[in-house]
Amino acid sequence: MSNLKIRLLLIVVMIGGAIYSLFPRTVVERVRRGDRYVYDTTRRVPLKRGLDLQGGMHLSLEIDEAKQAVTDKSEALDRALKVVRTRIDEFGVSEPIVQKSGNDRIIVELPGIDDEARAIDVVQKSAFLQFQITDETRALEKVLPRIDAIIRESGAAAAAPTAGDSTAKTGQKGLQELFTPGTAKGDSAAKAGGDSAAADTAPVNLTTGGPFSKLVAGGGDMPGEYFVAETDVLTAQHYLDMPAVRAALPPGKTLRWGADAVSRGATMFRPLYLVDTRPIITGEYLTDAKPNQVPIEGTVVEFTLNNEGGRRFRNETGKHVGDYMAIVLDDRVMGRPPVIQSAIGTRGQITMGQGRSLQEAQDLALVLRAGALPVPLKVAEVRKIGASLGEDAIRQGLAAGALGLGLVILIMIVYYRFSGFLAVLGLLFYGLTTLGILAGFDATLTLPGLAGFVLSIGMAVDANFLIFERIREEMVRGKTIRTAINEGFDHAWSAIVDTHVTTALTAAILYQFGTGPVRGFAVALLAGLAASMVSAIFVVRTLFLVWLHRTRATQPLSI
Amino acid sequence: MLRILHDTKIDFIRLWRTAAIVIAVFILPALVLIPISGFNYSIEFTGGTLMQVGFKQPPDVAQVRSALTQGGVPGVEIARFGTNELVIRAQESSSVERQQSGGAETVATQIRATLDKLFGAGGYDVVRTEAVGPRVGDELRRQAATATLIAFGLTLIYLAWRFEWRFALAAVLATVHDIIASLAFMKYMNIEISVFVVGAILTVIGYSMNDKVVVFDRVRENLRQARKEPLYDLLNRSVNETLPRTVMTGSTTLACLLALLIFGGEVIRPFAWVLTFGIIIGTFSSIYVASPLLLWTERKWPRRVGGKDAVGPRSLGSAPVARKPSSRSREAEGAVTR
Repeated sequence: MSNLKIRLLLIVVMIGGAIYSLFPRTVVERVRRGDRYVYDTTRRVPLKRGLDLQGGMHLSLEIDEAKQAVTDKSEALDRALKVVRTRIDEFGVSEPIVQKSGNDRIIVELPGIDDEARAIDVVQKSAFLQFQITDETRALEKVLPRIDAIIRESGAAAAAPTAGDSTAKTGQKGLQELFTPGTAKGDSAAKAGGDSAAADTAPVNLTTGGPFSKLVAGGGDMPGEYFVAETDVLTAQHYLDMPAVRAALPPGKTLRWGADAVSRGATMFRPLYLVDTRPIITGEYLTDAKPNQVPIEGTVVEFTLNNEGGRRFRNETGKHVGDYMAIVLDDRVMGRPPVIQSAIGTRGQITMGQGRSLQEAQDLALVLRAGALPVPLKVAEVRKIGASLGEDAIRQGLAAGALGLGLVILIMIVYYRFSGFLAVLGLLFYGLTTLGILAGFDATLTLPGLAGFVLSIGMAVDANFLIFERIREEMVRGKTIRTAINEGFDHAWSAIVDTHVTTALTAAILYQFGTGPVRGFAVALLAGLAASMVSAIFVVRTLFLVWLHRTRATQPLSI
Repeated sequence: MLRILHDTKIDFIRLWRTAAIVIAVFILPALVLIPISGFNYSIEFTGGTLMQVGFKQPPDVAQVRSALTQGGVPGVEIARFGTNELVIRAQESSSVERQQSGGAETVATQIRATLDKLFGAGGYDVVRTEAVGPRVGDELRRQAATATLIAFGLTLIYLAWRFEWRFALAAVLATVHDIIASLAFMKYMNIEISVFVVGAILTVIGYSMNDKVVVFDRVRENLRQARKEPLYDLLNRSVNETLPRTVMTGSTTLACLLALLIFGGEVIRPFAWVLTFGIIIGTFSSIYVASPLLLWTERKWPRRVGGKDAVGPRSLGSAPVARKPSSRSREAEGAVTR
């Protein structure tokens, strides 16, 4: 019976393979780090639990085309992916997943993380660092009337948006009085007088009642600094978003909001800076950044530039001694622009202001080190699963699985007796190989995946029913046991193959077109179908052959 | 040998008219209701923010709702989940998005701030948060529909190749019936369409196809026998012969689903409900929808073999054609003999 031996050997090999792939072990694998492949030794634990079973965060990111038009999305996303991956690697999560999904999305999975705001911040922050010199020519004052006129013409002032409306009644009058031009450079006396210092110094050509100009107050102690009441920020931004207004800004200059509000008197104000559009240097030359806490400035991030960056920085700052330099991160001015005392070399610091935690500085340093995102990203989807929910799901899944499996085994053995027992052995083989296949493909076990697994159990059991019922029919027709078994398997074969192939087709389509959870379901179902086919057609048949070999078909078959 | 339903001779097909009426009564109200009020879609499809929050003791829903509405959270819906948990849903708000750059996350932050005020920062526990942009939802809906259509197309082709186009058509139409019936069931039960439930429907499709293939496999085999038997009787015989397997498989699968219904927990329950219904309806439709459809297509487009009527006339269930099918003419029946 060499045929039987080969069959048994094959089964042993398959079981061995399944067990091997299910054992945790240390593997050496080629992984991509940046641009090159390196060999990395990792401990691979098979059948990692998915986020829904373990708890954690799932983010999907898209290119924010509202902020920047991108021509080659896929390529831009590849570059963004690299940056996001570097940041996440430094974020300190075990086994994070950062991958591209389709051509327009990045999927980030962070097991065990539950501070969503922080995670999103790290992933999404563009971290585009620029150093820009603030304006000294009072250029904004010169174009204010023009901006007001544009806004009036467009009728936007009448339809002033949301936030402006609510404050209009209380704030309008005060704000009109507030308006005052930027005072002379370095005039620290004006600092105190931000709100009271005087409509009388207002230049003649200004219309204090203009829809935009009324929102903007000067009075900073440095050139190019203005203030807008916190309640009017939305309205002002709305005006500044108008293309015509943008076109009317002084050539070569850009307006940037400050990152933090400041209090002047009773009201909170948001600083607005007019800066040179051309940065003297950008963050691409940055080699290192680390957080620190210093007495006066509070939390800071200290950075180091590389040699080339240092040279350029020294050159540029040398030309601008006495000017103020805004440190702009993601279009927001960090801290108050410091005055350039003398040429600066390779070292500098970003002031985050008081009241910021060291962790925020750590995260900022992290994203600065990882580099700027080449394209702005927006969060399209956030899913956060608490660890407790995962535990519940596992407990419930196990309970349901154990009960279901117990019922199946009971039905099989009660109804088919000895043959049912053989089928249960086949089912054990099925379960083991399914998990083995999943582990071999490095699949993650998720809730939908478990559902797919449970459902393929149904298919595996069904195949056995088909065979056994057929064997019974053949025995009723008076065939010998050996023939009945052979015919039973042969006739059930076509139905088993057809049912499995049809289901597999559906599962394959699901895999191809589905995302995340649907894919997990499809993968588990496909693995289960493959194992089920082998189990029913090959393993159970071999068991019957062994039985026939042992008994020489002298005993009646218990089926 | 323990046997159930052995050697039955039930005239299943005769009852197809009754079955059709039952189906119509079940489906028609839903066909009216669905266009009017539509389905409840989960957050993955509609876009928006969902937050599942656990409390130490059962919270006052009305209080939470009014606090959230005052807190400026747009379009709040609150539902109880288990005993001490609430599921809070909110629609996306673009005006909030603009000010803070967090995008979809901002509504969640808002909800949290409100809950902080109401229960204190440690007084509750966020079990799950989901925030989905509207584009993702659209895409998902399109994907699910495309996947189903393509799966049907491929199944149709596969079955037409393995069996015959009439079989394929009958099987696919019967499965379409199962989907419609399952959707009607979901409408009546007010089950929300989530990715999970879509998975359940897709599984129902697989299971239902499976069942039809098993019955048709027997029909195919019986057709190969040189019996002069009207198709009507042949179909009945095939259904009866596969009945033990149908009942056994159906009951084991239902046993598993029962376990899921009882122990699966709140997340899995809708999934288990749809599957339970779908598997019952899928088994039912193999007998009452697929078989009559096969009869009907045979009558409408009778099979022709070499100019002579072969299987066609017997489909009418009338006097069988006195014909001695040669093995060659059976070969010519095409895919059926495969």
